[in-house]
Amino acid sequence: METPILGVSGRAEATRPDPRVPLGELVFALLMLALGVFALVGVFTIHVPVGVKAGPTVFPLFVSIILLGSAVAVLVNVLRGKRAEVEEGEDIDPDAKTDWLTIAKIVGAVVAHLLLIDIVGCAPAATVLFGVVAWALGATRWWLAFVIGLVVSLVIQVVFAGLMGLSLPWGPALGWLGEVF
Amino acid sequence: MDSWTLLLEGFATALQPQYLVFAFLGVLVGTAVGVLPGIGPAMTVALLLPLTYTLDPTAALITFAGIYYGGMYGGSTTSILLNTPGESASIVTAIEGNKMAKMGRGAAALATAAIGSFVAGTIATVGLTLLAPVLAQFAVNLGPADYVALIVIAFITVGALIGSSVPRGMLSLGVGLFLGLVGTDTLTAQQRYTLGLLPLSDGIDIVLVAVGLFAVGETLYIAARLRHGGIDVIPVTRGWRSWMTKSDWKRSWKPWLRGTAIGFPIGTIPAGGADVATFLSYATERKLSRHKSEFGRGAIEGVAGPESANNAAAAGVLVPLLTLGLPTTATAAIILVAFQAYGLQPGPQLFQNQPALVWALVASLYVGNVILIILNLPLVGMWVKLLQIPRPYLYAGILLFAAFGAYALNFAVVDILILAIIGVLGYFMRRYGYPVAPLVVGMILGPMGEEYLRKALQLSQGDLTTLFVQPFAATAYIVLALLVAGGLWLRRRQRRYEQALTASIAVPIRTDSEV
Repeated sequence: METPILGVSGRAEATRPDPRVPLGELVFALLMLALGVFALVGVFTIHVPVGVKAGPTVFPLFVSIILLGSAVAVLVNVLRGKRAEVEEGEDIDPDAKTDWLTIAKIVGAVVAHLLLIDIVGCAPAATVLFGVVAWALGATRWWLAFVIGLVVSLVIQVVFAGLMGLSLPWGPALGWLGEVF
Repeated sequence: MDSWTLLLEGFATALQPQYLVFAFLGVLVGTAVGVLPGIGPAMTVALLLPLTYTLDPTAALITFAGIYYGGMYGGSTTSILLNTPGESASIVTAIEGNKMAKMGRGAAALATAAIGSFVAGTIATVGLTLLAPVLAQFAVNLGPADYVALIVIAFITVGALIGSSVPRGMLSLGVGLFLGLVGTDTLTAQQRYTLGLLPLSDGIDIVLVAVGLFAVGETLYIAARLRHGGIDVIPVTRGWRSWMTKSDWKRSWKPWLRGTAIGFPIGTIPAGGADVATFLSYATERKLSRHKSEFGRGAIEGVAGPESANNAAAAGVLVPLLTLGLPTTATAAIILVAFQAYGLQPGPQLFQNQPALVWALVASLYVGNVILIILNLPLVGMWVKLLQIPRPYLYAGILLFAAFGAYALNFAVVDILILAIIGVLGYFMRRYGYPVAPLVVGMILGPMGEEYLRKALQLSQGDLTTLFVQPFAATAYIVLALLVAGGLWLRRRQRRYEQALTASIAVPIRTDSEV
């Protein structure tokens, strides 16, 4: 899967030294092309039981063709200078530059949440998620973010686990509350 | 008539106190979440999917009907009162409504939007009531090859017409189809694209993909370029009793009706969704208005028409969804997910096998509309407060709900991981201009399309021509070609129109670099 990415992005840098080359856009389109190649190669590894007409490979073949065809079309468009049109939104500052650090913090918070949930329970892990994300997005008082997060996650825990019976883990700190229900 | 009896029975169900409470809650929550900036109708429905884990099917579908209409309506409040450009579907309402609010006529703009939505929603629901049983009756006789044709229509129109670039839309569709393939083939029990990983052998849950793309991906996209500083909400001063003057009514009622007439048919055909309907309505009102000079400076017709068209289209989208099982927008696709969570498959069989449920749902659409207008006229003060929620808490809350919804699906941590991965994919798709709606539609329709395709090919002993020779299928492909050509032409006109409009009224709806 990796060879085509390295090969063509190297070529793109060589032929277009212009700093305005949309590198990210190209890399993403190439990844999609790689996905198409992966899908097509994968078709031949699917086992077709003997005697089956219109078996499990018919549709994957069709999907691979759509993926490859449209990925090539996007690549051609990007290389010919047709840039992506991105959506605006009410809360988006059109002049702002992409803040990768904030994205990393948020993704980190989600990963921390999934690592913590089985150890400390649903509500505490959700509190951490809420608090870290709010802090990453610039909440003025970071401790308040954790307090609000705790309240929201306790409400969810009590309503969905306590009253409606979903088996969300209570965790060691809140185990006593779980026994109430 | 038979369907009237069934509809009355539906009302008898929907008007039971406990279901009225669910309809009320659905509208309230749907509007509240829809008003929140940055949350469109698709994300509203996706975030609230966990409700289906705990409610009985009728209650859940009634709640979702409320959420759907509430979420559709909520966006207009945002674009009228928030001093920043809104999402593309409400862009034309944003121009006129926002200008009206700035002149101190925000209350009138909100009222004409609310009443217009009610009028349009009700008339369009009548249309749905009349049209759906006929279509369902017709669809019973369709064979596998005909369904393949219908699904191909949905694929191509959604891929080509949603979003600004055809290849990007088709690529998004392809990724959705691919994700739908991952897992174990239902007919032959063969593993496909699972990489030998156990969590993938059951396939990727569509809920994770919908929530990941619409909640996590969108949050990351906004977080990367969040607008910091104060939130600029235009105050609504006057009390709600004096909302619309006599001349406001006089100028609004025709646009409401025209908007409905434009929106409902466009909603029923797969032509790119409400976006096209609002644009056409705006262009029509501008052409017919006797107050042309007011357009771009706060013309009430420019709010009344597009807002009605938007809601009528929302009801129209339910026609192919309920009768054929075909979602033509991202929101409809996620509602289909809610149906499937209960093992229900919308389509002609649903009308035959579960008439009570279907007609209770239709009846609840009428009820939801009434609740919507009762709630919206007096509660504007509350919606304004919602607009002022500090953004860090808002987006932290969205992520919290998304993670909760993912975990509660199977109580498996790996689902949160898949959610995060899909979220990052959604971020990059948005960043590089790929529409995410075709992905969701592709993922949900892909497995259905595959099933019909293989059935058709088995019947014909592998002969591919079977897909094209039947009269219905052949007609469908001709219609498809017309739809795509017409849709792309409309889209081009819309873009030019919006650019000209932006230039003529000198409002920076889009940033300079983009125009």
